[in-house]
Amino acid sequence: MTSILVVDDEEEVCAALKRRLQREGYEVTTAGNAAEAIGAIAARPHGFDVVVTDMSMESPDSGLQVLSHAISRDLFTEVIVLTAYGNVSNAVESMRRGAFDYLEKNVPGVDTYEVLVMKVEQAMERRRAAVRTVRRLEKQAAHR
Amino acid sequence: MSGRGGPLGIRPSALHIAARRERLGPIGAHWYNAVVSRQECDLDAACGSDAFLEQLNALFAGAVRPGDEEKYLQDVLDLAMDAAGGDRAFLALVEQRTGELVVVTTAGLGWTPETTRLRLSLAQESGRGITGHVALTAQPYRTGDVIHDAHYVMYFRDVRSEVAVPICGTSGQSIGVINIESAITDRFTPLHVERLVAVAHAAASALRVRGFRARETALIEIGNNLTTTLDIEALMGKVLGVAAEMLRFEDCTVFLLDEASGRLVLSASRGILADRLGETPYRVGEGITGWVAEAGQPVRLERPQLDPRWRGLCVEFPQDEIGALLAVPIVGRSRILGVMRVVRRRSATALFSNAFSEGEERILTSIGRQVGAAVENVRSYERLVRAERMAAWGELSARAAHMIGNRTFAIKGDLNELTYLLDERPCEEIRAEIKDLAASMNHGVARLEEILREFRDFVVATQLTLGTCSVNDVIQEAIGETFPKRTRIKLRTDLTSGLPSLRCDARKLKRAFAELVENAVSFQPEGGMLAIRSLALSRDELLKYGLSQGREYILVEFRDCGPGVDDGEKERIFLPFHTTRAKGMGLGLSIVKGIVEAHQGFVREIGESGEGARFVVFLPVPEAGASE
Repeated sequence: MTSILVVDDEEEVCAALKRRLQREGYEVTTAGNAAEAIGAIAARPHGFDVVVTDMSMESPDSGLQVLSHAISRDLFTEVIVLTAYGNVSNAVESMRRGAFDYLEKNVPGVDTYEVLVMKVEQAMERRRAAVRTVRRLEKQAAHR
Repeated sequence: MSGRGGPLGIRPSALHIAARRERLGPIGAHWYNAVVSRQECDLDAACGSDAFLEQLNALFAGAVRPGDEEKYLQDVLDLAMDAAGGDRAFLALVEQRTGELVVVTTAGLGWTPETTRLRLSLAQESGRGITGHVALTAQPYRTGDVIHDAHYVMYFRDVRSEVAVPICGTSGQSIGVINIESAITDRFTPLHVERLVAVAHAAASALRVRGFRARETALIEIGNNLTTTLDIEALMGKVLGVAAEMLRFEDCTVFLLDEASGRLVLSASRGILADRLGETPYRVGEGITGWVAEAGQPVRLERPQLDPRWRGLCVEFPQDEIGALLAVPIVGRSRILGVMRVVRRRSATALFSNAFSEGEERILTSIGRQVGAAVENVRSYERLVRAERMAAWGELSARAAHMIGNRTFAIKGDLNELTYLLDERPCEEIRAEIKDLAASMNHGVARLEEILREFRDFVVATQLTLGTCSVNDVIQEAIGETFPKRTRIKLRTDLTSGLPSLRCDARKLKRAFAELVENAVSFQPEGGMLAIRSLALSRDELLKYGLSQGREYILVEFRDCGPGVDDGEKERIFLPFHTTRAKGMGLGLSIVKGIVEAHQGFVREIGESGEGARFVVFLPVPEAGASE
């Protein structure tokens, strides 16, 4: 089952995201801050498939810390960064460091939860493709 | 300084003679004069030049010492009397504004309340007398026979001889006159005149030193005042006050340059122009004032109306009454900020100039520079305050957007779920889930309202509606509304009864106390203690907290058993947005600080780190008789 880690310092946000993603059949773990998230990533043997993290928690760039730990645990973990108050420079930085995408929590007229579900699906597709490619390359290497 | 009966020992005799003469009346005095004239000459001889020099030295030494001017001028006149041996003397000073000689001190006999307040108009040719003549010519004058003297005007019937010497100012003009009279014909010799001139020099030195000292004090004051004044209007008021101290003028006006329009704005005036503040009578370059603003050079003119630059657009009094004008630029670091202008009326007499001197121009130029620095100081302060306010608002908006955004996002999630449930499943099955979602949304909305309240309280913390109230009542209300009904925190209150009433905004103060109660509660989730006490501070305690003893304070203390505040954090916790709690925007303690400081009190955290927080609020007790 696809495993997702949701990180947000707002308990209600964590709960709402968890509920929505569980509805899609994902296995969801939550963390209330970057430190907790880093601990959860380290504790999980193969890392998470997808990490959805808020950007600004203990510090304005907490999301970047979660991102770097997630990727160093498993290169193919896809990270989606959420921002409540559009901080473009941090969002750009997260993309530069390998995030799958970033999402603004509050966009008028947009159901961000639905957009997030879509992004998670896309991220999973990319992850699967990446894993397939690596397997194929590994197989080719084994044949030689 | 010797007065009558000083070290020379001649005054009692002179006084004695004068007293005898007074009793004899004018005719008898005339006879008596003839008899005693020989004796007085002997007395004169006794007034040796060594003794005179000694006294003159003392007089010069006194000229540079700070002290009572009236007393000094009396000493001057006493020595003049000693030196010349007359019967009666006075010292008069020129009053530039009116063109009159005003008697400031007298010696000898026969003075009446009217004659001691004598004012001689220098404008009228007749009635100026010998004193007026000396004031106008600035030359000593001596006559041995007043009856046949062309300048003499009689004020005392017994006068036969008179000598008068001018007290001269820096540019040689008279600023006063020393006048000595005698009932004896041919009483005064050239030696007497010489001595009186020396005494007059001492008086002139003293008056000049006093003038310099006044200028020095005023310049220091202007420097001190101007750099600490942060309001242009108050600044201009002070500038006019200081300029008036230092320069004699009929009116002073300040124009500040409005760069956008290139016009000079009438910003301060002592006279009738004060009713026209804010008007912009001159363009830069227009009129003498506009010329000063353009050229950055001072202008000093007698009869300014005759100057080709004169426009007369904005004058302090009717044009033809203006006798002299002095205008200097107000100069900032790199540009001209305005013009300061002083005017005098035309002199009452053509013989007596009312023009501004070069020295006065230098003083006003110096004031203009200081004012320039002060204006720039005020303007950069205003810019800074604006920038800081903008930055604070920027941060406040960013925080608010972040917090509100997060809460809204959570509520949106609940709504999303609710819609899904209603679409997908029959109502009766999802009743419990809907209830949960409603509770969650309620919670979210409550959090939003909390943020809004914090936001509003922060903005209005310093806007008070003052009334009279008992601090203990306010504390009790705050506890009643904030302290949880069911909690494992033990509440202890120790409120001193009979405390003086406070002038305060009870609602705001309650909000501040409530915040401190809430703070203690939220930091002791597992239970603990909150002790609140109120008391009037004793003198010793005032000292302990470093408070001025001139004022009474009430102390309200909130002490808990939570984690306390680290030493490095004790000040920072009161800054806006400083929070260790997930709740709210971190404005709570900055709201407390804002409210308490608006009441002219202050709040501190003085607990030991790790042993619980201890917040102390000091509130000043209104002084007796303070208005309700």
